[in-house]
Amino acid sequence: MSRPRGEGARPPRYRLGVDIGGTFTDAVLVDEETGETRIAKLPTTPGDPSIGFMNVTRRLVTGGGVDPRDVATIVHGTTVATNAVIEGNVARTAFVTTEGFRDMLEIARQIRPSLYDLQFQKPVPLVPRQRCFEVTERLNATGEVLIPLDEASVLATAAAIRALDVESVAICLLHSYINPAHEHRVAELLREALPGVAVSASADVAPEFREYFRASTAVVNAAIQPVVQRYLEGVSRRVAEDGYDAALLVMQSGGGVMSFEQAARRPVFMIESGPAAGVMATVDLADRLAIGDVISFDMGGTTAKVGLIRGGVPSITKDFEVGGVATPGIGGVARGSGYPIRTPVIELVEIGAGGGSIAWLDSGGILRVGPRSAGAEPGPACYQRGGTEPTVSDANLVLGRLSPARFLGGEMALDPDLARKAIEDRCAALLGHDVVRTANSIVEIANVAMANALRLVSVNRGHDPRDFALVSFGGAGPLHANRLAAMLGIPRVIIPPAPGAFSALGLLTTDLKHDLTRTIRLRSDGVAAERLEAAFAEMTAHGMAELARELAPTDATEVRRYAEMRYAGQSHELNIPLAPGPIVASTVARLVADFHQAHQLAYGFHVLTEPTMIMNIRTSVIGRIRRPGGAPPEGARPGPGTRLGPGTVAPAVGVVDARPYGQRPVYFAEAGGFVEAGLFERHSLVAGSRIAGPAIVEQHDSTCVVHPGYRALAGVHGELIIEAVA
Amino acid sequence: MTTDIDPIRFEVVRNSLTSATEEMAATIRRAAYSTNIKTRADFSCCFLDRELRVVAQSFAQPIHLGNLSNLVPNAVRQYGADRLVDGDMIIVNDPYLANIHLNDITVFAPVVIDGALIGYLANLAHHVDVGGGAPASMGVTREIFQEGVRIPPVRIVAGGEVVDDVFRLILAQIRSTRETTGDLRAQIAANITGRRRIADLVGAIGREELERYIEELIAYTRRRTRHEVAQLPRGEYVADTTLDSDGYGGPPVRLKVTIRVDDDGVLFDFTGCDPQRAAPVNSTYGPTYSACAYALKALIDPDVPVNSGFYEFVRVIAPKGTVVHALPPAPAVGAGEVNMRLVDLIFRALADALPDRVPAAAKGIMCHAGFGGIDPRTGEYYCVLETLAGGYGGRALLDGPDAVQPHTQNTENAPIEETEAGYPIRIARYELVPDSEGAGRNRGGLGLRRQYLFPDHAVSFSVLADRDLTGAWGIFGGEAGRRARYVVNPGPDERVLDSKETIQLKPGDLVSYETPGGGGYGPPDERDPTLVLRDARDGKVSLERARAAYGVVIDPAGWTVDLPATTALRAGRAAARTSAS
Repeated sequence: MSRPRGEGARPPRYRLGVDIGGTFTDAVLVDEETGETRIAKLPTTPGDPSIGFMNVTRRLVTGGGVDPRDVATIVHGTTVATNAVIEGNVARTAFVTTEGFRDMLEIARQIRPSLYDLQFQKPVPLVPRQRCFEVTERLNATGEVLIPLDEASVLATAAAIRALDVESVAICLLHSYINPAHEHRVAELLREALPGVAVSASADVAPEFREYFRASTAVVNAAIQPVVQRYLEGVSRRVAEDGYDAALLVMQSGGGVMSFEQAARRPVFMIESGPAAGVMATVDLADRLAIGDVISFDMGGTTAKVGLIRGGVPSITKDFEVGGVATPGIGGVARGSGYPIRTPVIELVEIGAGGGSIAWLDSGGILRVGPRSAGAEPGPACYQRGGTEPTVSDANLVLGRLSPARFLGGEMALDPDLARKAIEDRCAALLGHDVVRTANSIVEIANVAMANALRLVSVNRGHDPRDFALVSFGGAGPLHANRLAAMLGIPRVIIPPAPGAFSALGLLTTDLKHDLTRTIRLRSDGVAAERLEAAFAEMTAHGMAELARELAPTDATEVRRYAEMRYAGQSHELNIPLAPGPIVASTVARLVADFHQAHQLAYGFHVLTEPTMIMNIRTSVIGRIRRPGGAPPEGARPGPGTRLGPGTVAPAVGVVDARPYGQRPVYFAEAGGFVEAGLFERHSLVAGSRIAGPAIVEQHDSTCVVHPGYRALAGVHGELIIEAVA
Repeated sequence: MTTDIDPIRFEVVRNSLTSATEEMAATIRRAAYSTNIKTRADFSCCFLDRELRVVAQSFAQPIHLGNLSNLVPNAVRQYGADRLVDGDMIIVNDPYLANIHLNDITVFAPVVIDGALIGYLANLAHHVDVGGGAPASMGVTREIFQEGVRIPPVRIVAGGEVVDDVFRLILAQIRSTRETTGDLRAQIAANITGRRRIADLVGAIGREELERYIEELIAYTRRRTRHEVAQLPRGEYVADTTLDSDGYGGPPVRLKVTIRVDDDGVLFDFTGCDPQRAAPVNSTYGPTYSACAYALKALIDPDVPVNSGFYEFVRVIAPKGTVVHALPPAPAVGAGEVNMRLVDLIFRALADALPDRVPAAAKGIMCHAGFGGIDPRTGEYYCVLETLAGGYGGRALLDGPDAVQPHTQNTENAPIEETEAGYPIRIARYELVPDSEGAGRNRGGLGLRRQYLFPDHAVSFSVLADRDLTGAWGIFGGEAGRRARYVVNPGPDERVLDSKETIQLKPGDLVSYETPGGGGYGPPDERDPTLVLRDARDGKVSLERARAAYGVVIDPAGWTVDLPATTALRAGRAAARTSAS
C-alpha cells in the first residue's frame, strides 16, 4: 500500500493516535523529531464514528500545518466492536458444531445472571437456533477420531446456510482445540461452498478447551467481523482520500496493536480496545520513570477503572464477557449476563463511581453514591443544565476542590449554590448533617468504593498496594488520587501531563503484539522439554510471520512465553512466565517451583507433593515500536518489585517552589475543616517545581488535589508526583 | 439513621465485611479441586458476629440462604462456644443442625483478635462424595447412616494446625480423597483469608466501633426489610402439591404451605405436610427455611443486604418429624428436591395476590446425576455429581427461559471437554428438548437432554430427582411443562428409571436425562402467533404442536402464519371450551 515518494523526500516523522470514546474523540499527534505532542478533543459522532475520526484528525494534522504524507502511523482505539455486540448491530451469522450439541449457545452455562430477579432473561444468543447446524464427526479428549468427518453432512449444512443468506459463520467442534483437523476441513468446505461468507474457526480464534467459551469467542468474532471490516475499510478510505499513506493499526484488548488487516480477521481481539489504551499509557509512563509496579486509576464522568501493572506488564484476564451487566454495588460483571470471550483482555475492575455519580438516601436512610449517573445531560446540578440531583462533582465543588470559574479552562462556569442546594435538599436535610459534612461524606463514600476496587486488583491477588505507585488520569482521577493513595498506604501518586487525553497517548506507546495460545494439558512431570520447546518455537514462528505482515516500523522484537498451570484436579490456572532462553529439563522444574510460589501468593497455600499440570501455553510476540520521545533506555524496563527511589525524581533538575496564582478555602477533614489552599496552574509548572499541600493544581481537562501533609513535584516527563512530606 | 452514625464509616464497615466474604469465595473457587465447587460454584461464605448473627454473606446458590445462619449457631452451641479458641476451626456436616445434606461440609472459625472474640467466619462447600451407599453420595436411602460420613462439630484445625487424626478419619470414609483433600484445604484457606480482612478492619477502627456499626448495619437492613414487607399485600395464602414418588413405592409426598403476610413479616406455615419418610424425600429445617428466605428475597428490593436484619422477617413453622423438618435418622440426601418444590409452591400460593410478579412452576427439582467407578486410565476411584437445568416458568410479561437453573439453584454446567478430559466418560448429546415447554400466553422454558456414555467400564449411577410423573404446573390458564424422563439405553430395549434409583451399569451403557419444561402463564390461545412462528422456525416447537397447543397454523414453505386459518382454529377452540364448560 505504500506509494513511491519523490527523490530525497524526508521520511515521515509524525505518529497519530485517535481514540473514540462514548462522548469524545481524542487525538494525539507526536513529532518524532522534536518529541512535541499535540492533542485535540472533539465530540464523537455515534452515527458514523469515522466522521469524528476525520474531524479530529483534520483539526490536529492539516489544521496544525502538518502534511498528511508526513504521518508514518495512525493507531486507533475504538469501541466499534463492543458497540456492535451491545447494540445488536451484528452480522447474520450461522453456527456449526458437532452432532448432538446444536444448542451449545442456547444452553450456555445454564445459569441466570441475577439470583433473585424473577423477571431475569438469559442473554439472547447472537445466533438464533434456526441458524445453528450440526455436522457428523466426533473426537475424544485426546484428539483421536471416534467418528470420521462426514463431508456430506458438511455440504448439506452449507446448502442450508446458503438458503439463509448469512454473512458470517462460526465453527466450533468438540475437542478441536487439541485436534483442529475436522474443524479446518469444515472451514475449507464452507469457504468453497459459500464464497463471500466470512468463516471463523474456534481453533484459530481461541484454541482452548471448554467448548462453550471457545464457541462463544468464535461466534462473537464471526458476528462482528463484517461490521468491523466495513468500518475499518471506511476509515482506510477516508484517510487515503485525505492523502495519508500511513500504516494503520488498531489497539487490542490485551494491550498490543495490530494492523487493520489483522483486526478485520480477528476483531474479537479488539473488543476492549479503548480501556486498554489508558493502561498502556500507564505502562509507558511507568517505564520512563523506571517504576515496575503501578496501579492505573482512570476516573471519568460515570465510572472508574482500576488496573494492575507488575514489572511493567499489565495484568491480563481471559475471563471476560462482552455486553455483560455490572453487578450493583461493589463492582465486576454479573456472571452469565454477557457473551464470554477467551481472548486476552487487560484486567480492569470497573465500578460505577465517577464525577457524575448521583448521591441519594436509600429506604434505610443510608447515604449512597452511584451507580446511577447524571451523565452528560443534565449533568451535575452545578452545571446549570437543570440537574437537581447531587453528584460527586457537586460535592467536590462545595468542598472548594473544583473551581467555579476555571472548570474546563473557564469554558464552563459551575454554580456552587446549585450544588449546595442539591446536596441540602436531597441528602443533608434528611441526614440531619450540614451541607459541607454531607459533601465530604459523598466524596468519601465514592472513595471507599474506589479503594475497594484498588484492593480487588492488588490485595485480592496477593499484592500489597504499599509496593505500588498510583497513576491517576481521566478528568476526575487527579481529584481523588491523593486521598485514595492515603487510604491504602500507597506511597506515591503520579499524575500524567494531560490526564484527560492520557488514554489516546497510550495508542502511540504500545507495541505490536500477537498473542497465541495452545492447550497442552499434561502433568508437568510428563512434559518433555523438547516437546515444549517445539510447541513454543512453532507459535513464535507463527507470531513472527504475522508480525512481518504488519507493515509497521518496529525497532526490535521480543517474545514472552507463559504456561498456564494448576494442581492436577483444580480448574483455575495461574499464568506463569518462562524465563527467556532454550527450554531444558530444568526449565520445567523451574516452572513448577514458580507455580508453587504463585499459588502461595494468590491463595495462601501450596502443596509441594501435589502433581501440577500445564494446561495451556501462551506466547506473545511483540514488535517494539518507536515511542514518542524515544524509547526508554536499553534494559530500563524494570522487573517486578522495582520501586521508585527517592533520588530518581526529577534528576539533575533544581527544585524550586512553584508560585501560586491565588488561594481559596478548601475542605479537608483531616485539617478539621476549610483551610486556605494554594492554587496553581499546571501549565506554568516546570520540571522541579514543588508544591506544598494543601493545594489545587488546575489544568484544562482536570483538577488535581494535594492534601495537607503532602507535596507535589513536577518531573522531567511532565508528570506530577505526589508524596507524603517526610 | 441516627445522627451519631457516620455515613462514611458505615460504608467502610459494610464494604469491608462484604469484601471479606467475597475474598473467601474467590479463594475457594480458585483453589478448590472438585468440579462441583470450582466450576459449579456450589459453596457459600459468611461472617457472623459474636452473638452468632449473620452480618455479611457471599454465595451463588440461594439454597444456602439461611443455611449457615442456622447451622453455625447450632453447631457452636452444640460444641460449646467457650471451648473454641483462637486458631481453631470446626468442621461439621450434620444435616439435623440445619445443614442441607452430608455432602455440604462447613468449616468455621472463631475470629479472636487481641484476646477478644469478634465473631465467626464460616464456609460451606458441596463435596463430590462423602461415602455411603452410592458414588457421589446421592443414592436412594432409608436412613442417614447409609448416606455417608456424618460429622458432628469437631475441630479440624487446632492452634492453627490441621488435626490430622480427624482429617484422616474423614478421608477414610469417602471415595474421592484427592478432591476432598484439596477442597477442604481451600475451605481452611478461605477462613484464613477472611480473618486477615476482619483483622485489618478491627485495626483500623477498633472492636467497639466495629460492633456499633455491625449493630447499625443490622438495624439498617431491618428498616429496609420492614419497608419492603409493608408493600406486600396483607393476607393469608394457601397452596398444596405433591412430590411424585419417594423411591420406595410409597404414595406421593404431600406438601402444603400457608403464608401469612402481616406487619411482623411473612410467616410460612408448613402444617399439613406429610410425616417424614424412610426415603430420600425429606428436608431438614435448613433447606425449608432457605426456600422461604429465597421467596421473600425475590419479592423485595434486591439491593437490601442479606443479614440477620433480613432473616428476622422470615418466620417459619415447620412441624418436627415431617418431610420439611426431618429428625434423625431420616434420610437427608433428597432435601434439595423438597426445597425446589417448596419454592414453586410458595409462588403458586402467592399467584393471585402477586400475578405480575410470580412465575409459573419451573422444573421443580435439583435433578442430580451422580455416578462413579474405577477409572480404567488410572485405576483410581472417581465420582461425578451434576445437577441439570430445565425450563423456567412463564411470567406475566415474559416467556420462561429455556434450560436454566431456577430459584434456589444456580450451578453452572461442567464443560463437556473438561468432563471428558477429567473422567472416563463421554457426553453423547447435550441439547434442548423441543415441545417440552408448558404452553401459555407466555410459554414455559424448554427442558434439556444430556446423555452419559460409559464406554469401557462399569459404574454405579444414581438418579435423584422427581417430576417424571407430573409436569411443572402452569398458572392463569397456562399448561404444564413436559415431564422428565430418566432412561438407560433409549430405544427399543430401553429401561425407564425411577426418579430416585441407583443402578449398576455395564460398559457401553448410556443414561439419558430429559429434564422437565417450565409451566406456561396464561391461555396458550392468547399467545402472539408471531412468537409461535419464531419458536417453530427455531425448531423449539413443532408445527403439529403449534397447531394443537396454541391454535396457530404455520406455512413452513414461506415461514408465515396462516392468519385466517389460525383465527378460525382459535375461534373453534374457544367455542368448544365454552360448550364444554
